[in-house]
Amino acid sequence: MKVSDLLKSRQANWEELERLCSRIEGSVRRKPDAATLARFSSLYRSACADLALADAYQLPPATIHYLHRLVGRAHNQLYRSRRFNVSTWTRQLLVDVPRRLFSDNCLRLAFCIFWGIFLLSGFMAYTVPGYSERVMGKMWTMQLEEMYSEPIQGRNPGASSGMAGFYIRHNTSIGLQCFAFGLLFGVAGLFVTATNAALLGASFGHMAAVPQWENFRDFVTAHAPFELTAIVLSAAAGMKLGFSLIDTRGLARTASLRRTAVEAMPTMGAAMVMFLLAALIEAFLSPSAAPYWVKTSVAVLSSALLVVYFVVLGYPQED
Amino acid sequence: MTADRQQLDNAIEIVTPENIAFRYQVAGPFRRLPAYLIDLVIRGMMFVGGTILVSLVSLVFGLAGLPGLGAGLTLVLWFALEWFYGGLFETFWNGQTPGKRLMRIRVLSVDGQPINGLQAVLRNVLRALDQQPVVFCLVGLVTASLNDRFQRMGDLACGTMVVIEEPQWFRGVIRLGDPEAIRIAGRIPPSFQAGQTMARALAAYVERRGNILPMRRLEIAWHLGEPLREKFDLPPGTDPDMLLCGLYQRTFITDWDEQTSARTGSPFRESGSPFGTSEQAPSENSDSAAAAQVMAAADQGQGEWSASEEER
Repeated sequence: MKVSDLLKSRQANWEELERLCSRIEGSVRRKPDAATLARFSSLYRSACADLALADAYQLPPATIHYLHRLVGRAHNQLYRSRRFNVSTWTRQLLVDVPRRLFSDNCLRLAFCIFWGIFLLSGFMAYTVPGYSERVMGKMWTMQLEEMYSEPIQGRNPGASSGMAGFYIRHNTSIGLQCFAFGLLFGVAGLFVTATNAALLGASFGHMAAVPQWENFRDFVTAHAPFELTAIVLSAAAGMKLGFSLIDTRGLARTASLRRTAVEAMPTMGAAMVMFLLAALIEAFLSPSAAPYWVKTSVAVLSSALLVVYFVVLGYPQED
Repeated sequence: MTADRQQLDNAIEIVTPENIAFRYQVAGPFRRLPAYLIDLVIRGMMFVGGTILVSLVSLVFGLAGLPGLGAGLTLVLWFALEWFYGGLFETFWNGQTPGKRLMRIRVLSVDGQPINGLQAVLRNVLRALDQQPVVFCLVGLVTASLNDRFQRMGDLACGTMVVIEEPQWFRGVIRLGDPEAIRIAGRIPPSFQAGQTMARALAAYVERRGNILPMRRLEIAWHLGEPLREKFDLPPGTDPDMLLCGLYQRTFITDWDEQTSARTGSPFRESGSPFGTSEQAPSENSDSAAAAQVMAAADQGQGEWSASEEER
């Protein structure tokens, strides 16, 4: 059978497959009916067979190229993207992530770096005059003092909701950036963590030395545990991604990166949940006129929750 | 690099569950960047639309004491659009965002399987790294160019690649209208059977000869046409271009038997009967070398001017 006759007989099928592809592509909403799908899959299988035998049939190269494109297109319609596996999210967040983080060296490293630099910077800002101006800039220092120059009177809930949105966006963006930059061999994540820690420490230390300390402490206490932990967690997740390129444990670098990425995303998810809680507390509780013991107890409660999450849930068990 | 064809090409071969190996063309920066810019515009429009909607809603409810709620929701919408727009679209639209759909590209796993939600979200979150330094996107561009699948950092971490998916016009055999070619096809001995490389060379040549100037066609076709002309005992003035077209006609379109009824010239060669004196099927060795040369020349559209051309 000559090639032209063969093409004549097969071309109708290929064109029908193209039409079905366009139809299925176009109908993103509705799924096509069973008859269409059955016809589509049988046409796809025969197009695959044609491609497999293309060399044996001695098809011209242009037709082979066309067949590659056609089969590729139909393949993408038949095998569609998988959605989120929401049912596993609870188990991942509450079981897998704590257990992994319990023995995670990157988390320990990020924790030490963050808190070490934070305390150091705070101590320096407290004792050395002029340190905080050099770290944060004179304008920002004066703005900080001005923000807390009056005791907290509370805010109406409308403005609080607005601020909640602002904090969600601002803080979670910082966390996600820490995470993304960590991929650059882990160094960029360390850098971002260290700078954030120095700035925060400088502001804390500075405010501790000025008379506005009371107002500052009133504002900051309630949401501090969640937010600081979330920053450390996102930095650690980013560092893990970056260090997986260096410490590959016997795999190729890309394979090691891929395996770590599957673990890093749930950790980032946990960090985002913490950011969300911190933003809500920061927007609604911190600027409110509630007495200081309420805010302190919220801080203690959140710290206890974090301890339960990381230590109790994370403790390695044989099951 | 792909095993069989060591060309600098953006074609990646994958093997599907149907045990078929086919090739995808991977999309480079010149498709992905416009897609990203289109997505940026669409994101901006969605943000503006969302803000208007939120203000309307908060106008209805906000007089009841929550005026900042509108601003808060707007900021949350901005956050979601900034980080999760791409991820959500690629999960629910089978690997495409609106920008990618317009540029006809799609995100796939490296082994040809579709992506899942985790891969989609993570590769879009990691775009924050690929965009550094901000306007120049150097990290992403450099990583993509060091890779044979144009994978940026986000793609490397998730094991994805972006392929081109464009519908193409069907191209089958070319119907040569030239009576000269058909006449020559009639004079080719019936035992002629083109091998695989020969068939591929003929098809490559005939597909591209329309784009080549006539003089260049002679140059290219001479390499294969001259040995074959001698083999088939055709007169020395035979146009090699027409000879190759005739061979193409014989290989892909008609057989010798049908040719005897369709030809316009004499079926007999001057020197003997059409069944040939000592005709054998063309040997693969000498012809495949020439066939490969013709294929390469046709691919490049160049030819070598040889001394014997001056005889014509």
